[in-house]
Amino acid sequence: MATLITHSPILIIAIPLVTAFLTPLIGMANRKVRDALVIVSLAFVVVLVFALARDVVINGIRVYTLGATSPDLTIPTGFMVPVRIILEVDGMSIFMGIIWSIVSLAAAIFSLSHIASETGQNRFYTLLLLMVAGGFGMMFTGDLFNLFVFLEIASISGAALIAFRIKFADTQEGGFKYIVISAIASLMVLFAIGLLYAQYNLLNIGAIAQVIQYTTLDKIALALLLIAFTMKAGMVPLHLWFPDAYSVAPASITGMLVITSHACMYAAFRVCFTLYGSMLDAPVAGWILIVFGLLSMFIGVTMAVFQKDVMRFMSYHAISQLGYMWVGVGVGLAVLGNAEFIAAYGRDAMSGGIFHILNHAMYKPLLFFTGGALFHCTGTRDLTKMGGLAHKMKWTTILYIIGTLSISGIPPLNGFSSKILIYESVYQFHPILTITGIITSILTLASFTKAFHSAFMGAELPEYKEVKEVPRSMVIAMVILAAGIVFITLFPSLVVDWTIHPAADALIDQEAYITAVMGAIP
Amino acid sequence: MTFILESGYAFWNPLIWIIVFLVVMIVVYFFRRRGQKKYKKDTDQAQIFLCGEEVPEAGERHIRVGNIYWGFFETLKEYYNQILRPHTGIVNDYVLWFVAATAVSAIILLIAGLAK
Repeated sequence: MATLITHSPILIIAIPLVTAFLTPLIGMANRKVRDALVIVSLAFVVVLVFALARDVVINGIRVYTLGATSPDLTIPTGFMVPVRIILEVDGMSIFMGIIWSIVSLAAAIFSLSHIASETGQNRFYTLLLLMVAGGFGMMFTGDLFNLFVFLEIASISGAALIAFRIKFADTQEGGFKYIVISAIASLMVLFAIGLLYAQYNLLNIGAIAQVIQYTTLDKIALALLLIAFTMKAGMVPLHLWFPDAYSVAPASITGMLVITSHACMYAAFRVCFTLYGSMLDAPVAGWILIVFGLLSMFIGVTMAVFQKDVMRFMSYHAISQLGYMWVGVGVGLAVLGNAEFIAAYGRDAMSGGIFHILNHAMYKPLLFFTGGALFHCTGTRDLTKMGGLAHKMKWTTILYIIGTLSISGIPPLNGFSSKILIYESVYQFHPILTITGIITSILTLASFTKAFHSAFMGAELPEYKEVKEVPRSMVIAMVILAAGIVFITLFPSLVVDWTIHPAADALIDQEAYITAVMGAIP
Repeated sequence: MTFILESGYAFWNPLIWIIVFLVVMIVVYFFRRRGQKKYKKDTDQAQIFLCGEEVPEAGERHIRVGNIYWGFFETLKEYYNQILRPHTGIVNDYVLWFVAATAVSAIILLIAGLAK
């Protein structure tokens, strides 16, 4: 077991990667064995992630050097800087890993029935597992070039999965838009890495952070990295591709794509707090995040109210909710250099933003899954054609209500816990942030009520007389996420103390991240 | 106590809300139990009464999504006209926004750096 935990950072990436290539081979022989392999491998990854999380909480940051005689030998003998690929797992990375592992498993279970009638399922699961590996790579890597590589893996597999259902024309358009946007974002990330490498001859995040000077080229690299990840996360006004792509993917994939948006957000936070950290012009960078957050919150929700397509409706809500996280963490970044403000409200604002990532990762995939369940049963995403489905889809209705109450921040559900942390802390920075947040929350509840009435309420419609509840695997996947919501609702303090505060502290404490890699210098 | 979340300024305990919610549910159930039980199912007694008018079919009486919040959209018509304009669906436009945002951010960071 100790060996397993020692090598868990690489195993968490390698297991889905290896399974991805085994899946088509096994799938050709037996479909059920293939499905079992996918689920078992992802369930095993969940176990490994939680074991690694426990280790990180107890022993602090974990580094894993690939190809070294010992995984913690970050700098080889005779060298002054790291030259090998290094994975670095701190409180923030493992927090993202926990989210990604749970949602990936739920999405795979949901897919078992959701794509059962589609052709090319072997390729579907291969791509799904590649996206899982890419996501974990982005979260765990301590190296900028590998961040780019894993971003590419996640993006290319994501685009192929969006376009997976080739019988629908809009999926091809969505996949095309996603790959164009992803390619441009990735190229800008690569260009920024080139600018940093040209100056410092380094690729390791900790090593660059130790020597970075914040030159003019560094500022240009920061703008490129920040805006590329902002666009990939789907923030307003760079969100335009988001609903076009996310609304046409199979619902299970849309749930996962939301977490890839979180991963890009994580990369942006990592760049600001860890790579640039103390050298950064923190108030300016913080306000850039806050402005993107405010625009996303308000424009996202007002666009959502307007939608008639259930998946576009939920996509715009995802954009709106991402805004809360940017505002929370943005306020923390804006006061990063001021210990007094960090202690007074900065850390709480960041904790609120990070807590909202976790909550959003539970209720948003759940809501996308309910949207997928509606499409699965009615064959349409158009809310104008739906009605009275609560009579036929009782599980989906209950789970939709849980997701709706949670996203709207209705007490006592988990969405409220993170929103109150954000509201109370960002108010100290600027009251307009809290006011915008509350207005957004009201509009969120109003729009979800509208969608609920349109799809579920009313008398049973004759065209849906034959509709039945979705298959069991889809219900199980939704229940897993709803169980996550209930757990966080009941134990907010436990979750904040064990995962959120360590994640926020990991971002604030740049020195600890650098020391974990560079500490071995004689 | 793991149920209580300290926000730094106040505290939040979900258990209090859950208990209040359960009490309200019990009260609602109590009133429901006192309702009329002697009606005849599957007769006109259980039908919708619409001032004596004929009740439309299920599909006709369901208020569809396009008719909800009409007043809200009418009031904010100008806002929506403006906000829908960038949503062209054309990838070239999306990339243009990226270029503009990168340029503006880079200029802000550079100017802020000079002023520092």
